[in-house]
Amino acid sequence: MVIDHAWHGLGPGLESLSGPLGAPLTRTVKLIVLPLIVRPALRPELAADFLGPAQVASLDGLIRESGTRLAATAQWFTLLKRTRRALGIVAGNPQDLYFQRCFELATEHGAPAAGADATARAVVEDVADTVDGRTVEALKDHLADAVRRLRLDAKLAAAWERRDPAPSDATAAVALAAEVLEACGAPGPARNSPQYVSMVEAGHGGLFGRALWTHASGVWGHEDLPTHLGLTARQVPQRPEVGRGASTATLPAPLDRTLFERLFVVLQSSARREELPTVPELVKQEAGRSCAPLGLCDESLRVAVVLGGRLAVGLDPLGTGEGAPGRTAAHRAVNSRWRREASALRARRMTVSPRPDPDGGVLDALAQDLRTPWAAYMRRLWVRLHGRDVRDAPLEDLDAAWAVLDGVARSVMMDHRARVRSALRTLSAAPARPAEQRSA
Amino acid sequence: MARDTRAPVDVHVAPGEDGTVRIGAGPAFGQDVAYDDAVAVGPDFTRAVLDVAGAVLTWPVLDDPGPPSAEVHDTGRAQQWLWALYGERVAAAVHDCAAGEPAGVRVVADSTALADSAARLAFGHWAARWWPASYPDGIPALDPDLLGLELAALTHRCQQLFDAEGDQPDDCVAELIEEHQAALDALIQWWRATPQPADTARRLESVLRLVDDAADSVGLDGPALRHLRASLDQGRPVVTPVDPGALFARHDGYALAAGEPLVAGGRVIARGSGTNDWCRYPPGFVDAAENAVSWTARAVGARRQIEVEVLAHVTAPVAGAPLVAEIRVNGGRPNRMSLARRDDMWTGRADLDLSAGVTQPRIEVGVLLPGFDPGRDPDGPDPPGHPGTSGEAEARADRDAIRALVRRRLIAAAQPLAYEASPHDASPGPFLAETAAAATGEDY
Repeated sequence: MVIDHAWHGLGPGLESLSGPLGAPLTRTVKLIVLPLIVRPALRPELAADFLGPAQVASLDGLIRESGTRLAATAQWFTLLKRTRRALGIVAGNPQDLYFQRCFELATEHGAPAAGADATARAVVEDVADTVDGRTVEALKDHLADAVRRLRLDAKLAAAWERRDPAPSDATAAVALAAEVLEACGAPGPARNSPQYVSMVEAGHGGLFGRALWTHASGVWGHEDLPTHLGLTARQVPQRPEVGRGASTATLPAPLDRTLFERLFVVLQSSARREELPTVPELVKQEAGRSCAPLGLCDESLRVAVVLGGRLAVGLDPLGTGEGAPGRTAAHRAVNSRWRREASALRARRMTVSPRPDPDGGVLDALAQDLRTPWAAYMRRLWVRLHGRDVRDAPLEDLDAAWAVLDGVARSVMMDHRARVRSALRTLSAAPARPAEQRSA
Repeated sequence: MARDTRAPVDVHVAPGEDGTVRIGAGPAFGQDVAYDDAVAVGPDFTRAVLDVAGAVLTWPVLDDPGPPSAEVHDTGRAQQWLWALYGERVAAAVHDCAAGEPAGVRVVADSTALADSAARLAFGHWAARWWPASYPDGIPALDPDLLGLELAALTHRCQQLFDAEGDQPDDCVAELIEEHQAALDALIQWWRATPQPADTARRLESVLRLVDDAADSVGLDGPALRHLRASLDQGRPVVTPVDPGALFARHDGYALAAGEPLVAGGRVIARGSGTNDWCRYPPGFVDAAENAVSWTARAVGARRQIEVEVLAHVTAPVAGAPLVAEIRVNGGRPNRMSLARRDDMWTGRADLDLSAGVTQPRIEVGVLLPGFDPGRDPDGPDPPGHPGTSGEAEARADRDAIRALVRRRLIAAAQPLAYEASPHDASPGPFLAETAAAATGEDY
């Protein structure tokens, strides 16, 4: 609100950074104003939702001081968008890609002046190039080499041999996970869970992954629930192959994916590709990673799989209130979100029958997925954790872990809604008969 | 609608379930029940909803316009827009509530430009799903592309409500533009052909400029969008007026088939109307009229047969949708009968399990899409908000109220002058799709 008032006080010239009602774009706040101008890390007193008069004045001052630079940023953004169009580049959201660069350009050069066109062109091409070398194409080329494939295959075989399946059961890890989840989902910041830290230190994630290799059962306290929760379609995960192709539509369960398929998913998502290692390095690391417990190297990420599994088995998207062992605060938070989603879907006329309907076709299949929500949840979760593992981004504390667990739940809901929308669109897509034939 | 929508209104801010904060307005004001029950005081088609950053907003479609009810599940994210939608007092009350203030408080909500735009966006999404297009009722369908582009414009206008977290299905401006850009050319033609300073011309230009700005800021490009930009740069040469009804004409001007009866023979023993419950099938399949479902029971020798005819929606697909009729005789188990498309009808015929002695069978017929039907527990309570009444009678009254609402809107849309003096920039007038439909509707 303070930002908004100060923004309006800056006057015209900020249109390309503002929305139609004059407020700054959400990404302007998120990518420019907060991290580059307010910098709450340096000024923790400005990080609160509600500020006292002194902080308000200070925040207001910071933004006003930056007025000229913001106006220049806006001009650079307009120029970069024009340049991008001229170059025929359409990938990515220009706000995500250019906002920070525009602010840097404004800081360095002020408003665009003579020669700015060339600078803009260089920046747009540079941003487009950062991802180069980290593409599916490059992966394909890299793995096309027959000698290299043989070497990788031998490496996978050796790493798989060296595994150490744990005969012990994973129920202890799962019980601990329930305690940790009890500390999640509640409002407020009191999520400093020592249990989470001790789970990571004691290696409960790795233990669970090794138990998966031994076909442990009964881990989730419910006979219908497989220990792997759909992370593999087999009884126990098999040794990953190198692979030479992949398609989004036919990706197998996470732990059944080839090395190619695992990296394909990482390279497919366009977000933060510049943080990735180069393709040869990625391949080298993945050979080891894919033979590690749960296909992940970092222990905090493996613990997140256990937490996610414990959360997933208690999800109740259809609101039946049935089954499922002890639900925790985290379950209540996510299930109440499912309830709101179900209510919104009814209001948007995008429902699926909660009860099985043999005539229901694709809609019934979607409802069936809601009856086993853990499969979609674990698949999504694993992909996200794997993406963190390749970027070497562990989950430092429970807050970070909960943000991922909760975010995955929301993604599963978004997926469901998108699939219902697409199924309904297909059903009504058959072309209508022309009018003249309708009239008899 | 006569009420001044700018007047401040009280809302009720209180802790909800599972750490949420609830803002109650209108019928949900201060209700101490689950959020679902508080906002769902009627059938699903009487609610307009919007998924925004950290909250779900709900408006009752049939009530006077006002601030929405909200269930806030992430107060931190919601604080980005709460003050701009409801005003600072409500934002502060939500903050206190999240900080542990246990008691609910009554707070004055301001009327804001953002609240107006958000209500309109939610209503537009509602119209895209529940608009009760019907041939016998004389309610024309809305052009989905035209409505979709206006929703894209409104979504952009409401950008403050969405953040870049990617978990808000209604934060979909790029998807809306990509899906509906086929209508851009017709929209540009309409704009160019509409004489200034008509209200319609102003609304057309506003939508086109917002779509252009939204496409530019999310980086969409393509021939239709380039044409839009060039047209906006070039301005409006005055050309011959066009008829928007013709521009957006879909193949829906059908005359009802004379209805050659299924030659079934036999003796009619009963006939009647079934229930047309909009919640049991998706939009675009069945005509929304109350009497769109009809049935005839016949005696053919010793057999008893039933024929069901369901009036098809004007844009219904010919094939592919396995609609079924659900038939209950004398309160027994419902049986399904598949329906096939014949002319303007979905029709089916089946044997009826009825002994020859029964002369006045009680027959209930409904229509549904298997797998879609959200269903109600037959042994469960009536839908909330309808204590002691048959939910079906209430639902029928609500459907009538919806028809009356859209008729009022179409009449208003046919008289653009009524909105000429509108002082608000938020375009509270009809949606362009309604204006175009009102023009089409005259041919009905």
